[in-house]
Amino acid sequence: MIQKILHLLKENNIRTYLINTDVEESHELFFIKKNLDMKRMKNVSKYELTIFNDFEKDNVKMRGSATCQIYPDMSYEDIDSKIKSAYYAASFATNPYYPLPGPEESSGYNNSSDFVTEDAIRIMTEALFADDNSSDCFINSAELFVSKHTHCTISSEGVNVSYSYNTIEGEFVAQCISSQDVETYSDFYCETPDASALREKVTEVLKITRDRSIATKINTTGKIKAIISGQYVYDLLGFYLNRSSASMIYPKYSDFKLNEQVQNDNITGDSLNISLTARYPYSSEGIAMKDLPLLKDGILNNIHGSSRFCHYLNVKPTGVYTDIKVTPGTISINEMKKGKYLHIVNFSDFQMDALSGRFGGEFRLAYYCDGETVIPVTGGSVSGSILELSDNIHLSSETQKIKGYEGPLAISIENISF
Amino acid sequence: MQKKIKSHFSESLHKFKPLMKELLDNLLTRYEYISILSQESRGNVYRVSKSGISIADSVLLAGKGTVIKIYDKKGFAEYSFNSFDKEFIKTIPSLIEDRLVPVDKFITKCINHNVYPVPHEEKITFSKASSMIIDPETLDDNVIIEKLTSIHNKGLNYDSRILDCTVCFQYMHTDKFFLSANKDLEQSLVWSTGFVQPVASSGRETHYYHQPVSGLAGAEILDDMMKHVAPSCDNVLKLISSTAITPGEYDVICMPDVTGMIAHEAFGHGVEMDMFVKDRALARKYIGKRVASDIVTMHDKASDEIEAGSYFFDDEGTISSDTLIIKDGILINGINDIQTAMKLNVTPTGNGRRESYERKAYTRMTNTYFEPGNNSIDDMIASVKDGILLENASCGMEDPKNWGIQCMVNMAREIKDGKLTGKVYSPVVLSGYVPDLLQSITMISDDFHLSGSGCCGKGYKEWVKVSDGGAAIKARVKLS
Repeated sequence: MIQKILHLLKENNIRTYLINTDVEESHELFFIKKNLDMKRMKNVSKYELTIFNDFEKDNVKMRGSATCQIYPDMSYEDIDSKIKSAYYAASFATNPYYPLPGPEESSGYNNSSDFVTEDAIRIMTEALFADDNSSDCFINSAELFVSKHTHCTISSEGVNVSYSYNTIEGEFVAQCISSQDVETYSDFYCETPDASALREKVTEVLKITRDRSIATKINTTGKIKAIISGQYVYDLLGFYLNRSSASMIYPKYSDFKLNEQVQNDNITGDSLNISLTARYPYSSEGIAMKDLPLLKDGILNNIHGSSRFCHYLNVKPTGVYTDIKVTPGTISINEMKKGKYLHIVNFSDFQMDALSGRFGGEFRLAYYCDGETVIPVTGGSVSGSILELSDNIHLSSETQKIKGYEGPLAISIENISF
Repeated sequence: MQKKIKSHFSESLHKFKPLMKELLDNLLTRYEYISILSQESRGNVYRVSKSGISIADSVLLAGKGTVIKIYDKKGFAEYSFNSFDKEFIKTIPSLIEDRLVPVDKFITKCINHNVYPVPHEEKITFSKASSMIIDPETLDDNVIIEKLTSIHNKGLNYDSRILDCTVCFQYMHTDKFFLSANKDLEQSLVWSTGFVQPVASSGRETHYYHQPVSGLAGAEILDDMMKHVAPSCDNVLKLISSTAITPGEYDVICMPDVTGMIAHEAFGHGVEMDMFVKDRALARKYIGKRVASDIVTMHDKASDEIEAGSYFFDDEGTISSDTLIIKDGILINGINDIQTAMKLNVTPTGNGRRESYERKAYTRMTNTYFEPGNNSIDDMIASVKDGILLENASCGMEDPKNWGIQCMVNMAREIKDGKLTGKVYSPVVLSGYVPDLLQSITMISDDFHLSGSGCCGKGYKEWVKVSDGGAAIKARVKLS
């Protein structure tokens, strides 16, 4: 297929192009309680072609682009027609010129795990149900996806890279019927079968669910120190990943500037040290991705993004990052739990708005301490602005590693409304 | 009245169909039940903003491929693929037999099987298509970009505090055929969506106002977008001086988009009956019981061409229907997919939907709405002494198990003594217990509006096109 596309690009005299392909084979299992309800298998190949059209408008050099999907069954005539349409469309997508990246050596990135699919299915299914032994608190349902991918990027600028990556991911719902009948949703992700991490997660989620079943509705409101743990730490700190993206800074949605303090001018708590981490060896444009410092003591060290927006901002293109690593703090979660606090471990749907900096959500389980006793509570909500509250945050010394994030397990924030 | 035209079925899918009929016959010699769903979904996304102009094929919900569903004496298995090569297709029966069916043997240690009977289907054949006024596939890209650019420029020049005005138009043309021993169905659907989204800043904080347009329609929806520019810009300028609301219980008027989110997130997900099978939905215990005030009637309806969630048959070959969920406050029925209907021994409602041929079918909503009532919105506002008007729903999360509700609303306008004061709060989290909210409904507006600009996920994935809305409601809710 790639040869077919390249041949037609040449025939159509297309000088600038970018091709991304992904070939995936996956096995998927769907469980209800400990019963297999459905099994699936998938073999799909995807081809995405971006065509660029350079021209001048009012004496300014412009570069338009249009992206199209090529399906495996397409004939020469079908692909030829797609290319012609995309080239025509690109002449209307009038954007200031920017160069595409040329070939780059991979920076030593190596994430190619390998395993036998059937082994991964067995190991992860056994791990999922290994500690599901209680009659009143159990796994209600689960889904497991084991996938193997081969990705390839080719461009007119000489990029020709390919790499393989594997993923094992899924989700499960824990249910507890002992007091109130409640449930907790959780997901998991790894690149090689990791039975112990999954077992640990299942155990933790079963415990949270059991606690939620005895949680009482919170009636108190006001301001409090909130300790937020788990996935939501990534959601919160992901604000800095989003705000430092060239695509946010260029249209002025974000006011972040290189080498300036972006956390807070009056930090009295922990300063943030965040790195961008590469999930894949190359970006979709063929830029070699490597780990980069993002914030050092709250100061912005890098702006990340595609060649287009980075060129507009006159910074080196890095590729678009989705993953971060955050330096842990020096105090433990137990040390955070001094005085009155609300430790939130499960939200209905935590929202962090990258534009306004405001965050919030209804919590399904939190531990409320009035200064003396701790009780599990549910049904309340918290809200705040990270722009206003980032002066006095503390990161835990305990860490976690989840999809897209490695860093502190918990963050404590003073004066959150609840 | 402008003349409507019908969507055309894909020629390449038609050419592929005999090959799939051959495969179906082959597989039916080995398995008691086989169905084949082939899909071609294609469309473009046009976007104009200060960041630039982009034209791209739609990716989400798009694609061309096939899913085969097999009954293997105990339960179901599926194989998804997108190679249309004849030689590859010849290998599919052995691929299924060698690599898919035996997966069970790797997990025998901890797992049993859900056992289902063989699906029974009535004989049916049809080919249907949705209608539109302007086929977006026949429009020149330049015409669409010019229209969007003029809308974008109007927004950008509206006020110096406006940083950007992103304008987007997207259409999707989806053709599907479904084959089984008794069924040969074809459908061709076109939906279009768009939005106007001005962004304004007050310094470090930036706010947006998202105004969607949508329909089971073509490019005619572009004409609706220009009229939304000025109101959307006025609203975003109010949002930049918004403050946080004091948490508490309020009398509220929910505009149809917020009502729709309540119908969809708070109640709709709770009557997806695959959740009944898993014992994950409280609604199962409330069939035939009161769940809302007696002025509330709610539907999930795919069967008429009313909005982007409509279709003629679902992704399991079940004919679409109009499901009456709540009638005069009483919970009447839920919605289901085929496996769920088999497990619960109820009639299939035609709500088995897939994100694409690549994904499993789940019970999913279509067009979910509250029926209109008898009150004008002005009268509803006038009836509130101290409360909030909620509009511009942004997102929500379901909790079928405990009927909790959490919806984020972008704009909350203060009402005092029956009048809007001009004070605005943002963002606001609407939360509470669903039956409390539905039973607190005391007024329903006489207008009716559905919005299908977004997609619905099951948990955090499995996106399908839906619409929701209906009328404005007056209720009492918790806001924070």
